[in-house]
Amino acid sequence: MARLLVQLKMRLLLNALRSSRGAKVSFIVSSVFGVLVAAGAFVLLALLRGQSTSVDLTTVIFMVFAFGWLICPLIAFGLDGTLDPATVALYPVRTGPLAAGLLAASATGVWPLANVIGLLGVTAGLARGPLGLLVALVAVVLQVLFCITLARVVTTGMAGLLRSRRGKDLAVFLIIPIFAGYEFVIQVVPRLAASGKLTAASFNGVDAWMRWLPPGMAAHAIKDASDGHPGTAALRLALLAGVIVAVGWLWVRLLGRALVTPDTSTRSSAVRGTALPFARYGLRGAVAARFWIYQRREPSSLVTWGITAVIMVVVSISALMKQGQNPGVLIANAVFGAAFVGYFHANAVGWTGPPFVFEAMALTSHRSLRAYLTGQNIAVGVIAVPVLGVLSFGLALLARRPDYGFLSFAVALAGLGAALALSNILSITAPYPLVQRPGNPMRRPADGYTGYAALGVFANLIGVGVAAAPLIAAAVLTTGVASPVRVPVLIVAGAVYGLLLSWAGVWIAANAAEGKLPELCQVAARSL
Amino acid sequence: MGEPAISVLGLRKSFGDKEAVRGIDLEIAGGSLAGLVGPNGAGKTTSLSMMTGLLRPDLGRVLINGLDVWGDPVAAKAVIGVVPAEVRLFERLSGAEVLEYAGRLRGLPAAEARSRAAELLNVLDLAEDARRLVADYSTGMRKKAALGCALIHNPSVLFLDEPLEGVDPISADVIRRLLTRYVGSGSTVLFSSHVMELVEQVCDQVSIIDKGRIVATGTTDQVRGGKTLQQAFIDLVGPRHSGEELSWLGFSSS
Repeated sequence: MARLLVQLKMRLLLNALRSSRGAKVSFIVSSVFGVLVAAGAFVLLALLRGQSTSVDLTTVIFMVFAFGWLICPLIAFGLDGTLDPATVALYPVRTGPLAAGLLAASATGVWPLANVIGLLGVTAGLARGPLGLLVALVAVVLQVLFCITLARVVTTGMAGLLRSRRGKDLAVFLIIPIFAGYEFVIQVVPRLAASGKLTAASFNGVDAWMRWLPPGMAAHAIKDASDGHPGTAALRLALLAGVIVAVGWLWVRLLGRALVTPDTSTRSSAVRGTALPFARYGLRGAVAARFWIYQRREPSSLVTWGITAVIMVVVSISALMKQGQNPGVLIANAVFGAAFVGYFHANAVGWTGPPFVFEAMALTSHRSLRAYLTGQNIAVGVIAVPVLGVLSFGLALLARRPDYGFLSFAVALAGLGAALALSNILSITAPYPLVQRPGNPMRRPADGYTGYAALGVFANLIGVGVAAAPLIAAAVLTTGVASPVRVPVLIVAGAVYGLLLSWAGVWIAANAAEGKLPELCQVAARSL
Repeated sequence: MGEPAISVLGLRKSFGDKEAVRGIDLEIAGGSLAGLVGPNGAGKTTSLSMMTGLLRPDLGRVLINGLDVWGDPVAAKAVIGVVPAEVRLFERLSGAEVLEYAGRLRGLPAAEARSRAAELLNVLDLAEDARRLVADYSTGMRKKAALGCALIHNPSVLFLDEPLEGVDPISADVIRRLLTRYVGSGSTVLFSSHVMELVEQVCDQVSIIDKGRIVATGTTDQVRGGKTLQQAFIDLVGPRHSGEELSWLGFSSS
């Protein structure tokens, strides 16, 4: 059974190389990334040799790997067919051999290998002497085994949920903290390190509690063996092995239950209220209602708002740390935030997907197209204005320049109008189908359409920047005017200018859409 | 037989080298319930998409109640209702919301759209699930919701692609009676299906499509020519495989 499942895993990996160009590229990118992580972790762990905080940092790195194993399978649930017990539930296989096979399948692939190679960096770092080396080898094997069994327990225990609509929604929401963490590591950590606020000493004592967790036990066993305490090292490894056996036992129990538990799919709950809002406003109101509901109920919509907020916050904090308290960063950030709102809505047809065909049946005139686009803009604007407002004022307070909150909000309003106009025009003139690849909860451009998505980003960044320039110039040129006069005038000017821009965008997009609906329907129908 | 509600003249469509529809001529009389049957990949869905203004034909004309679908799409779309083969509704709206939205897209006042939605949900046996998200609906429930969306503006011509696929027998019977009543009032239905018994039972007109061409059309009795429709269909389209290649099938393994 183990051989069969390992062969299945290998076949799945090789098939990724033979399938579509996109799948091939993502497999190659993932493999290259795996090699980089392996090399990076090895070097990082090796460089800790002789440092006073080496055991603390090794513990942290072991913890990070374990956390990765805990989170990634939740997002990549559909990617690895061997993760879902339902795929083998139909076959006459006993739980014991099946568990061994699934464990072996989990250990097969680029990432498990990258883990082993990366963690073996301890042999050159934390470990000293032959005994330290020997214990390091055992500790790495046990650490990887712990990670695999932990990942298996979580995915098997949550298999029913992850297969359901709610589970998939949950997986989408995991994108926000992962993205925020990634942005924090990329943007903020280097600046903290450069400013001397983050050093190796910052990790002193972090293992006071981590040492009792399985990854900490593995790291400390190496340290104990290297310091000439083989008994303590053996005890720690035995404890770690015991934890793995306990987690493995729990996994086998869960697997046995999952194989005979029917797929509960989704326990749905009712939504509040049965009527669509904005009833008095005709087609425009109906479309605004639909978009408004989607912004709240569609997880990927909420994720795009979350990502917009994360980008604005992290970029601002990072820029403020670099450039002192230069408030010009806040103005630039207002443009940036508005441009991202535009980008995330610049492919409304692709995001709507096949149900757009349903809407297209009613879009029979220039007037109805205008109402449709305006309805979308109202729904996006109702959310974007407060989001951009809160971020503008919040970041201005953080920079200790609350007055700049008003100025950046005025720029954000103008930028939002430009972003809505551009998103309307791009939705009609450069729509592209979005597809959801197994394992990735967010939809991506279909093969051959990545350039369209890039166009959306650049068109919005440049277009919003250019369109907001007059308001930025007005803000700069009126610095001598008293704030009680200047601020309200700029905010009203930003709002009116933004409305005019979005109105123009609606007209241009409606003109472009006339006679093009069948082609738009074809793009929408190709979205999954 | 009344005036044609649907007239299709020389409809053609190619996708790259593949000619999906190779010149279809079809006339469906007003007030009839017509079936379009054919094997998988025969061109049924492509033809229906072109007839409903959702896929631009390479050549040909489609007239609905005399209105040119591609010449005057505004007027033509206003009088038709469509249930596509692969029903993709707004997953994050509830059943009630999606029907109301369909009504409002079609220009019905909000109160009217809401009350018609409630009535349709009731008739289609979806009233209890009206507040559930469409994402949590089964295939059959989605089909019924899509049918409700297609009917809410009371169109004079209804296009249905595999309307009863995945629908339970009781609901299927309700839909059959609903369509019969709808046609009895002078409206027209064209639907595609693989289920010959169903087409034979409910349709007064049948067209058989194969490899992008209409190979037989007429009243149901004319097309089946004294045989069952299933047999007439197989005779016209021809069996693909006998199944005799699988010599091992049926012998129990030990």
